[in-house]
Amino acid sequence: MDFGYTREEEDFRERLCKFLDQELTEEIARQNWEDKGVGPEAREFSRKLAANGFLGISWPKEYGGQGLSPTYDFILLDELGKRWGAHVPLDVGYTMVGHTILRRGSEEMKKEFLPKIVRGEIEFCLGYTEPNAGSDLAAMKMRAVEEGDVYIINGQKTFNTEAHYAEYHWLATRTDFDPNIPKHRGISLFIVDMDSPGITVRPLWTMSGERTNEVFYEDVRVPKNRLVGEKNKGFYYMMEAIDSERNHVFTPCRLMPILNDLVRYAQETDFNGKPLALDPRVQDLLAQAAIEMEIAQVFAEHSRWMESNNIPMTYEPEVTKIFVSELEQRLVNAGMQILGLYSQLEEDSKWVPLKGRIEWYFLHSFMTTIGAGTSEVGRNVIAQRGLGLPRA
Amino acid sequence: MDFRFSDEQKMLRESARSFLETECPKTFVREMERDEKGYTPEFWRKMAGLGWMGIIFPESYGGIGGDFLDLLILLEEMGRACLPGPFFSTVVLGGLTILDAGNQSQKEEFLKRIAKGEMVLTLALTEPATTQYDPTLITVKARAEKNHYLINGTKLFVPDAHVADYLICVARTKGEFNSKSGITLFLVDAKSPEIKWELLKTVARDRQCEVIFQKVKVPQENILGRLDEGGAQIEKILQKAALAKCAEMIGGAQFVLDMCVSYAKEREQFGRPIGTFQAVQHHFANMLIDLEGGRHITYKAGWMVSKEIACTMQVAAAKAWVSEACKRVASLGHQIMAGTGYMEEHDMPLYSRRAKGAEFAFGDANYHKKLVAKEIGL
Repeated sequence: MDFGYTREEEDFRERLCKFLDQELTEEIARQNWEDKGVGPEAREFSRKLAANGFLGISWPKEYGGQGLSPTYDFILLDELGKRWGAHVPLDVGYTMVGHTILRRGSEEMKKEFLPKIVRGEIEFCLGYTEPNAGSDLAAMKMRAVEEGDVYIINGQKTFNTEAHYAEYHWLATRTDFDPNIPKHRGISLFIVDMDSPGITVRPLWTMSGERTNEVFYEDVRVPKNRLVGEKNKGFYYMMEAIDSERNHVFTPCRLMPILNDLVRYAQETDFNGKPLALDPRVQDLLAQAAIEMEIAQVFAEHSRWMESNNIPMTYEPEVTKIFVSELEQRLVNAGMQILGLYSQLEEDSKWVPLKGRIEWYFLHSFMTTIGAGTSEVGRNVIAQRGLGLPRA
Repeated sequence: MDFRFSDEQKMLRESARSFLETECPKTFVREMERDEKGYTPEFWRKMAGLGWMGIIFPESYGGIGGDFLDLLILLEEMGRACLPGPFFSTVVLGGLTILDAGNQSQKEEFLKRIAKGEMVLTLALTEPATTQYDPTLITVKARAEKNHYLINGTKLFVPDAHVADYLICVARTKGEFNSKSGITLFLVDAKSPEIKWELLKTVARDRQCEVIFQKVKVPQENILGRLDEGGAQIEKILQKAALAKCAEMIGGAQFVLDMCVSYAKEREQFGRPIGTFQAVQHHFANMLIDLEGGRHITYKAGWMVSKEIACTMQVAAAKAWVSEACKRVASLGHQIMAGTGYMEEHDMPLYSRRAKGAEFAFGDANYHKKLVAKEIGL
């Protein structure tokens, strides 16, 4: 057993930290984390990350990467997370879509997209969920019909969060309409230019002020060479990517700034002439959070280690996902309790503590146990794939 | 980063499991719960024959030169088997303390005999008034006379004192209550007539004692480690003991999970196995999360201990988490086993009773949360 990092990995981390401390401003961090929408600052930061050799480390050299272990990518995510940065600015392409293109895309597709992803130049938006296909994703209705050398696509997606600034839609649609086949067997993946005629993007605003979108397709013509891999295999590709996606998205380090802020607040705030840090109730809440952070970190380290060593993952990233997302809720609730009446104040309000970040996180945290699969579906996966319990 | 056990470690685990399945069946465990001593010399000799008592001692002291992770693996299997007897007291509390703090002749004398299975040791630390694993709270006094010390006072929750040959008694030689300095460790002959012990009746049906020292005369050369500086020594041994207890607890919880999974696949209600129900599956997912989190953090902290990397935070996190996690696993185990598991003759109570006892051993979650609060700057 070995729970440490290599010399090279630590050197990389050191260089990276120096870079991030200089370049990652609060504005950029909030652009890429809160889905305020990636703006020009985050775009520029993305290109700088790449130019300094911090992107594409685990990607094959022929597509612009450095051919090293994914451990380096995880170090990048950890260090971004510790600085309110949570992920790389254009993270759907970088941490999710790109891996599937690499595994399943044609050579032409790899050459077209991968170098741009590695250079931090383009972003994708996931087009999976539909109004009637949430947890039961395979029930999607959106249709792509072959006609000559294009597919003609019609239908609606919802909760497509990056749709208003991504260049490309990573779209799942039904391509086999036979009602007698299992529904997950008739789905395909496409890369669609977001500026294609017939696409309409409408904003949906979340309770924490983030923008997500619904996306409508009306006779959108997509060239056949934009079909990813084989026709009707899309659902398998989505499922095969999901473990790595969880590893890349649910990084425990992104919760560290919340805990650190609360500890600092407790140290610096007096209540009745005594620092809050001496209140046993406050100590208990924050110590519990710190303990769970340790557990979250070692869960993440375990599933990342599996991924980095090509050990087949079955339920492990699901454990990390559930644990990190639920920890976020517990941590933020602890924070709200510690702040008491002040906890209700929003950013820019008079008297607001900690810039209103805890209040914002409280609102945001409802999403974490829903997005990318609910905790309930996740627990079914763990019981069935991890423990071999029978399906109903 | 490497989460794999080495081939030797896998072999250790497999051989321990198969030995314990044969030699330590539940009938034996139950018999030992009622037995006066709580173990048999024959069983003890067999374990010693496998090298287990000396698993972590260097070969020069009759051991097999394993490291702390090897010990954790062995303890995990022992927890799975509900191992009766004073292994933990002798090897973890006694052996490791002597290995860390003892001088050459103490190591020669004690470790070799422990490794051979010829000696039982334990640690007399906690006291009735405080019952905390905190050396600053020690009140049992050791008063210096000419060439010896006189120990006076009562220790409580001393495991296996009734069969111990030697007790490591943690006593105050200087300083006041609430001070870490002035604490000294003594190797005390447990058969001294001035020592009185009485067995307590515990939820885990393990053997814990009240031990009363009435002017027990201990020669100066029986000081273990440095005079007045035992406080730091105790903190060190408590870290290892907490992790060792975690490993044992995880072994027990894994057995519970395995047993419940097999049961839920077989047991039918409403015309189908109860394991198909989502409510039950979610219980299982929660058990797995609790258990695997506990195992990862225990081995991570254990690895840090073996590499001598500072890990106060990880050790406290491990014991705090495992204490609560294994309690939850045991509760859910009962929920899944339902009425059958509530019966005394079922295996389930063996595990839930032990999980409860172990929760408090070497600090429960509240105790360790206080340490964590200090670590994060509160």
